[in-house]
Amino acid sequence: MEADDTSLSRLMALAQKGDRRAYAALLEQCARWLRRFYARRVPPSALEDLVQESLMSVHRKRDSFDPARPFLPWLAAIARYRWVDHLRRVYRLDETELPVEIACPDEGDAIAAKVSIDRLMAMLPPKQADAIRLVKIEGLSVDEACARTGQSESLVKVNIHRGLKKLSAMIGKA
Amino acid sequence: MNETRHMSAERIIDGLVADLVARPPLRPGRAMMGVAAATLAACLVLALGLGVRADLLGGRPSATFLLREGLLALMGIATGLAAIAAARPAVGADRDGWKWATGAAALFPLAALARALMNGTMPALQPESGLLCLGSSLGSALAVGTAIVLWLRRGAPTSLARAGWLTGLAAGSLGCFAYGMRCPIDSIYYIGFWYSLSTLTAAVIGRIAVPRLVRW
Repeated sequence: MEADDTSLSRLMALAQKGDRRAYAALLEQCARWLRRFYARRVPPSALEDLVQESLMSVHRKRDSFDPARPFLPWLAAIARYRWVDHLRRVYRLDETELPVEIACPDEGDAIAAKVSIDRLMAMLPPKQADAIRLVKIEGLSVDEACARTGQSESLVKVNIHRGLKKLSAMIGKA
Repeated sequence: MNETRHMSAERIIDGLVADLVARPPLRPGRAMMGVAAATLAACLVLALGLGVRADLLGGRPSATFLLREGLLALMGIATGLAAIAAARPAVGADRDGWKWATGAAALFPLAALARALMNGTMPALQPESGLLCLGSSLGSALAVGTAIVLWLRRGAPTSLARAGWLTGLAAGSLGCFAYGMRCPIDSIYYIGFWYSLSTLTAAVIGRIAVPRLVRW
């Protein structure tokens, strides 16, 4: 049975006072909500890890919840923060050269993250998307990106900066 | 595989429940008191080290002093409250009042610029005094900024860049407020340049330094 926001707020308020039964019930509801939240945003292989990380964040930061406010916006903010963190980590892995025997078996995370990012990049102006794709994803130097796009060095850098800022804002509003 | 991972989540939940101890919610009022205490401490240190404006000591401060200090206090309080609120995450929470206060404080540099353009000239900016203003304000800002960062580390700020900007703006404006108690110069050009430079410098330092200090 799904609890409503008011019930969740009450459960969290009790948990802040040390009520373990209320806390167990709350965390189970949180786990269900988090699975639904991440199911639309990350590949299945990353879902449970993110749910567990988010539950631990809920635990560590439980005193940042204000009992006078709704619970789900608080949980959503934590979930979104962990999601952005996850995307950053996956992109760092995507750019690192791995030995073939490690790289081959599981590219699901990198591919799925790329799909999500490609969707976001499609919303950027073409020149910004090109600059980010060439330098940040394909790993070209700024000079090489200039030669490829015909943009000046300063324009490539400005397009990267503005494009990344827009991507962050899009993810922040997601 | 899914069942195994589901069970891992259940084990995590069991572990977290066993680990639960009572922890009351964070109280923003205490954070604001910390910020106020840091500002007051900065005022006292500067008063003891550099003295206090003569007209303030005499109980007849100038109108410019009152305006300047009033705007700086307003900006410091508004941005400080927004920075403190950032420790408690929430989606859809609109906390933009600080933008109005910052806009009001920007009237000083804008007025100075307008006067300079109208007159076609700008008086000397008294760099010796100005550098003392900059250094003392940033030193005071460090105390105020530390109080805010300690609070943010206890909370869960979800937009680290925003938290950095707000911390820097709050610390900078309250640092300038503290220095303003001794600053004898009422020139709009001086205030528009040096106080703005001090506040903006603190804001940029906040943006650069704070996120890595409060990441969780």
